[in-house]
Amino acid sequence: MKRRVVITACSAITPIGYGQQSIVESLRLGRSGVKPLRDDGLLTDHIHSRVFGTVDYPIDYAFNRSQRKTMGPVAYYACQVAKDVLEASGLSKESIASGRLGVAFGSTHGSPTVQREIYQTFFQNLEAEFSSIGAVDYLRSMVHTTAVNITRMFGITGRVIASSTACTTSSQAIGFGYEMIKFGMQDAMLCGGADEYDTTTVAVFDNLLACSVGYNDCPSCTPRPFDKKRDGLVVGEGGAAVLLEEYESAKQRGATILGEVIGFACNNNGGDLILPNLDGITSTLRLALDDANIEAKEVDYISAHATATKMGDIIESQAIEAVYGQSPYVTGLKSYTGHTMGTCGAMELIMTLYMMAEDFLAPTLNLQEIDPRCARLNYTPKVIEASTRIASIQNFAFGGVNTCLLIKNGNEVL
Amino acid sequence: MTRDVLQKKILSILVQDFEFQEPGLDDNLREDHGFDSIDAIELLGKIERTLGFSLTREEKEKAMEIRTINDILDYLERIQQGRAQ
Repeated sequence: MKRRVVITACSAITPIGYGQQSIVESLRLGRSGVKPLRDDGLLTDHIHSRVFGTVDYPIDYAFNRSQRKTMGPVAYYACQVAKDVLEASGLSKESIASGRLGVAFGSTHGSPTVQREIYQTFFQNLEAEFSSIGAVDYLRSMVHTTAVNITRMFGITGRVIASSTACTTSSQAIGFGYEMIKFGMQDAMLCGGADEYDTTTVAVFDNLLACSVGYNDCPSCTPRPFDKKRDGLVVGEGGAAVLLEEYESAKQRGATILGEVIGFACNNNGGDLILPNLDGITSTLRLALDDANIEAKEVDYISAHATATKMGDIIESQAIEAVYGQSPYVTGLKSYTGHTMGTCGAMELIMTLYMMAEDFLAPTLNLQEIDPRCARLNYTPKVIEASTRIASIQNFAFGGVNTCLLIKNGNEVL
Repeated sequence: MTRDVLQKKILSILVQDFEFQEPGLDDNLREDHGFDSIDAIELLGKIERTLGFSLTREEKEKAMEIRTINDILDYLERIQQGRAQ
């Protein structure tokens, strides 16, 4: 059994806005969401990179205490975008609780904020005689906290997949959700990812010399994917969710079809856990085309992973050139948001859906002089008014995990 | 601690930390206030801090039979009496 899978709702909380209108406005105006790193009272003073893709606007969460008690900050993002998606979908309560809707949702490592609270309790040796670790601390911090807070809040009883593969967390979630529906295991999947404000992740990449450190006085000037003067990634935060549905049932119930997932691939480099691998990435892109049963020339837009690390952008550009040549437009959307880690795949897919819906393409922010070591691609030079039929969403993670999602414009889904 | 003092402390915890609205001493904690097993474990931790001593595993298991605020007060009085002896 192979069934078609469509996207019928989406929502994203991003450093450049929440919802289609504000995100599109930021993309069109070239508005960056990178801000000065907030003081966390612990690591900030030891980190060289002082910039962060920041969600700094108020969000009106309407969760009651019963819902809040098992949620860390990461689950707030996750449940809010999940709520938006379910409300927008028009799915009935019966469908949501039928067991035919599952959840594929993840984060890089649960809630580091709550984990930090737990460790503070351990090491301060306070009230050692009493049970000082709260009953809900594990539920708030655990690695699958986003997925199961979503199931709990909305009474979802289908399958749970809690991918946690750093930068490919949510692209895997969408890919695995697509496969669940394609092969008949579920009829719908709520998929995505979230990551909260966290300096631990910044410190890790900072220590690996992978973070941007040269633009601390001008946060919006970084990251600079494919640019000659790029100096590393910028960590960010946010949440993003999509609802995937089996095509025939979505059409039958009159759902709005935003796009179709026509292909997915995921593989591993099978070796080094950090360095990007040209063969691994090239293979992923080709496997996705095979899964979609389309030719490379049919893809007209690429949302590149493009973190703005020195080697990552070079390798990815070479892989794109090897598979696609110089035809499709290429954008590094992290130039607007920073690297939102577990969220980035879903977030960049949603930004691409918005651009598809509004017939434009955003350029890579801060790309002023293309690094001659990067392959000669069709880098989107400015805001272009153009319709996109098929887009490739590419994401690669520490651990050598690579993903590629191929998405068809909802207006082209027949 | 007298029952009156315990009652004030428990009601304060339930209102402030568990967001109970106008709790009655004989309200059913689960049905009237959505109090569940996670809340019960959380409340026991707060009770330990209020009383100033740790509850044994057996005492904690007995707490799972509690249904009302009056049950909580009965439970705490029994524990206090047991410790006093």
